[in-house]
Amino acid sequence: MTRALLRTIVGRKGSFFGTAGVTLAAVIVVAVVLVVVHTLRPGRNPSIGGQPMLDGVSGAVWLLGGVGAIVIGALAGSYDVAQGTMRYLVLTGVRRIVLYTSRTLALLLAVLLALAPALLVGLVLVFVLPSEPEAHVKPSELGDVVWTCLLWPTVFAVIAMGIGSLLRSNGAAVAISLFFAFAAAPLLGLVHAASPAVGDLMLLPALDRVTGADEGAPLAAAALSVVVWVAAFWSAGAFRIARDEY
Amino acid sequence: MSTAEPIIRLAGVTKRFGRTVAVDDVTADVPRGRCLGWLGPNGSGKTTLIRCMLGLARVSAGTIHVRGREVPKDVRHALSGVGAIVEEPRFYPYLTGKRNLEVAAGFVGHEAFARIDAALARVDLTGAADRAVKKYSLGMRQRLGVARSLLTDPELLILDEPSNGLDPAGMAEFRQMIRSFVEQDGRTVFISSHLLDEVEKIADDIAIVQAGALVVHGTVAELVAGGAATVRLRVDDLERARSVLGGLRFVTAVEEREPSALDVSLERVDDESSIALTRALVEAGVGVAEVAQRRETLEERFLDITGERGEPRAEEDA
Repeated sequence: MTRALLRTIVGRKGSFFGTAGVTLAAVIVVAVVLVVVHTLRPGRNPSIGGQPMLDGVSGAVWLLGGVGAIVIGALAGSYDVAQGTMRYLVLTGVRRIVLYTSRTLALLLAVLLALAPALLVGLVLVFVLPSEPEAHVKPSELGDVVWTCLLWPTVFAVIAMGIGSLLRSNGAAVAISLFFAFAAAPLLGLVHAASPAVGDLMLLPALDRVTGADEGAPLAAAALSVVVWVAAFWSAGAFRIARDEY
Repeated sequence: MSTAEPIIRLAGVTKRFGRTVAVDDVTADVPRGRCLGWLGPNGSGKTTLIRCMLGLARVSAGTIHVRGREVPKDVRHALSGVGAIVEEPRFYPYLTGKRNLEVAAGFVGHEAFARIDAALARVDLTGAADRAVKKYSLGMRQRLGVARSLLTDPELLILDEPSNGLDPAGMAEFRQMIRSFVEQDGRTVFISSHLLDEVEKIADDIAIVQAGALVVHGTVAELVAGGAATVRLRVDDLERARSVLGGLRFVTAVEEREPSALDVSLERVDDESSIALTRALVEAGVGVAEVAQRRETLEERFLDITGERGEPRAEEDA
């Protein structure tokens, strides 16, 4: 069932291959820019690969991959209801919560598949392109970047799926999911001004902490906070799926 | 489960949306191996009832058993031998016909994958299987919907307005396919429609619903037999004929149909009554040009039951 649902997500070529293509293109652009600036001023930019490339890959995959993952997630949540295919999935008799859980797994796989080319190509370039010894990347740094590049997009993809499942329109699902990620979630950071302890448990500070920030809530509390945030949106979508009539 | 047990058992099924009663206390059994036409005008709750039977919507009261299992309590087992089209078949337009069936098969189980090619062949879509569904015509999508329904190797097919949007040739082809499911495969088909002509040609049994309530349920022959019977007379003097007929005790009603024709309702319409009627008129000096026994057609019966025949409109009277 997860495989079948993965097919429906991957089959939406605009969102899936768009995400994969744009993210990969961004990584290549980063590499080209590094080559150009190194060629123009080799003394000031001695390394192409290594740390500079890793920073570029991290930024490209985190940001563009994140946006793509949100679009993929929102559509995963809303598409079947908007298109009218949901009733044909439900009338197979499969329990709705099982369907929803399988869709979540399919979404996670789809996001990983969409980001994998950019991440793999980027990481290969980190090591293949020339770099000075001081710019060499440590395994722990590499792990941090991979973790960050995968966690942020998947977290926002699942949240977007929850939002999409609450709605019956693809456009609204994508728009509200992007609004949440780029406007509502940062605004929630303002809570920090009133209560630093609570502010640290808002989604973005907690995610920051879980992906390597030194300051903020204790790591376990931050991790739990991220889980609760994701679970809240996921459960809201699950509730709607379980209750709705099709 | 015994084969005598109905494949669908509806007991007091009611579905309300706020104050609106979409399905009103429907009780009916659908026997196995036959085609039942669930007939009613638009808005009479046909699709809502189907959605309840398939666990897509909850009933407000009553119980539904499909294949001996209660829906929605045991929906997984109940629907494991059911295929359905509700309102219209919907697909992932960006996937091919075959890929769409593979997605559906992923929900049904491994054995469903083995049925895909046969299902496509059955609905004559093998040649278009690798084409994206967005390039399919409406008729092709309907047929693909039927192919998807066959993936469960269903005992019961529930088809909601399946011939909507089909051209006459497509409808004829569709009818043939539905009959083959019943006659060749021994499946039960529950088909909803507002088109009497269509249902009459496909169904063995007919149920007529009006405003959510089941009004009549029986075989096509029973429904026709249950209709009103009259004798139509064409006479030269309507007034005198009316007065003569009014004096006959076996005449229950007289209605003027055309300038020179009367429809006469009798306690019993048979040759004996017709002869007695004619003799009385002739003896009273009324010239009789035509005597014809007639029984309500199924269409007239349907229109009577659903109240759609009505009186002529004012502008038509004018």
